[in-house]
Amino acid sequence: MSNVFLLARYELSRMFMTRRGLLSLTAFALIWFLVLRYAIFGAAQFFMADAPGGLIVSFFNSTTINNLMSWQIPELAVFWVISLYLFPVFCIMLTADQTASDKARGTLRLIHLRATRDGIFFGRFAGQMLILIMLIGLALMTTVVLVMLRDSSLLIPTLRLSFILFVNLIVVLLPYTALMAWVSAMARSARQATLYAVIIWIIFSLVSGWLASRFPELLMLDKVLPGAQISNLLQVSGWNTLLLAYIPIVQTVVLLFLGRLMMQRSDW
Amino acid sequence: MKLLTCQSLTKQYGDVRALDSVDLTLEAGRPIALIGPNGAGKTTLFSVVCGFLQASKGEITVLGHKPGSGELHGRLAALPQDAQLDPRFSIGHQLVMFARLQGYSSKQANREVRRVLEQVTLPETFTMKPESLSHGMRKRVLFAQTLLGEPELILLDEPTAGLDPPNVKVMRRLISEAASGVTFIISSHNLDELEKVCSSVVHLENGKLKGIVDIDNAKTSGYLTLVMVELPEPIEQITRALGAISGVKEVSFSSPNRFLINYDVNVNATIDLNVMQILIANDWKYRQLVNGRTLEDQLYA
Repeated sequence: MSNVFLLARYELSRMFMTRRGLLSLTAFALIWFLVLRYAIFGAAQFFMADAPGGLIVSFFNSTTINNLMSWQIPELAVFWVISLYLFPVFCIMLTADQTASDKARGTLRLIHLRATRDGIFFGRFAGQMLILIMLIGLALMTTVVLVMLRDSSLLIPTLRLSFILFVNLIVVLLPYTALMAWVSAMARSARQATLYAVIIWIIFSLVSGWLASRFPELLMLDKVLPGAQISNLLQVSGWNTLLLAYIPIVQTVVLLFLGRLMMQRSDW
Repeated sequence: MKLLTCQSLTKQYGDVRALDSVDLTLEAGRPIALIGPNGAGKTTLFSVVCGFLQASKGEITVLGHKPGSGELHGRLAALPQDAQLDPRFSIGHQLVMFARLQGYSSKQANREVRRVLEQVTLPETFTMKPESLSHGMRKRVLFAQTLLGEPELILLDEPTAGLDPPNVKVMRRLISEAASGVTFIISSHNLDELEKVCSSVVHLENGKLKGIVDIDNAKTSGYLTLVMVELPEPIEQITRALGAISGVKEVSFSSPNRFLINYDVNVNATIDLNVMQILIANDWKYRQLVNGRTLEDQLYA
């Protein structure tokens, strides 16, 4: 267990002490700055100009928009929508190389002489989650600052809502990270791992779509891929968002099981 | 103490049997060589012992445990043939992490890493990245990581491959210095090197165990090896002269200038003196007169 903790912590140094990690962070910071400045700030102004049931809602006629309009802090509503789609993409890119390149280089052999395969697999997964948690935290903090610049009296509700979003986003990213842990155990480079993820994604989407159309009782297959609950998440708010948390959690358990199996059986 | 036991150990890649029913027991002690031609299964055997590969069939225990088991952490160390450190981190940073995984605290790990880098005479590499080192230095750093802690068994897969002669000599010295208290198993193609370092040889060929040779025994078992500076007379004439010495059973020649004399120790215990007398009498210049056979002669005679 202590090895899992050590390996997880080592992942942080991979992100914050290497050129590649710092480049990824810079790219994230720049993209996030653009999102914050133009998307969140701009859209929040737009939302504030309208009221629930107003022009925007009637134009889109959407329960999703209506739900978001009801949020007390529009910046966080926009943050929520953007994060639900943007963070999974970041997650796939950042976590693609959990074990792949180390395996190709032989570094994993040197580590395996001191840590079990389970320790390496779960340590790397936990390390990637720690990095993502930090990125989510940073992104939320910048959004909170944006809210405070507009109206500092909203501090308490902003923090409360931020915490809900923080927990939710962690849960949303769990299965994506687990998926990348699995494919990384199969691949020999980050690029190969990403390709495997895309292939698995497309094939499963096609197969599950076809099966669901032929056998309506198999509609639940829609829930198998990470992110399956995201569109439904946009229609609920507050702690109610966690009502759907069982989907990513079950997905994570299954994907980690598959990844562990791959890690145990693979030859290095 | 039993280091390694294999029973019908088999590793199959598709139709190819990299290891074919290997039965082997090795005891702790002086360095052991693992030899065989390319594709003999040496690296595969090392990889199975370290837990990098899973055996297809058979049983194997290392220091009484299954390969890859947590019980072996810190007790089994290895220098895998093509393993590299992560080029993005300094050597010290990575070795400290290895030491921490072996149970050292942060401060102890730092001290231990500095100790092993000192041992391989590369203390200055602590803050350097692997890419800034030469091939020989990288090998020595990788050797240093095997010395972290107090391993009981160290596997070295081709530790001198690609090294220049001075680095080969350094590596041989490092192995000899580290060999007290730990057993090395060394795989290599360089029989001369192995002969200088090891006391017994495990011989693999086509994935099968061909035999185990005790080098020390072979050195004193009725053989003399004579290496000439040049061949002043036809080979047959020299062979005939050496064959005429009392107790000599057979003289064989191997290119370019080596004679292997097989003799009966009970008949002639001072044969080396007789050989010297013949050399002096004929004014034949020799380079070496070695008691015993070279490893090459023992294995491939």
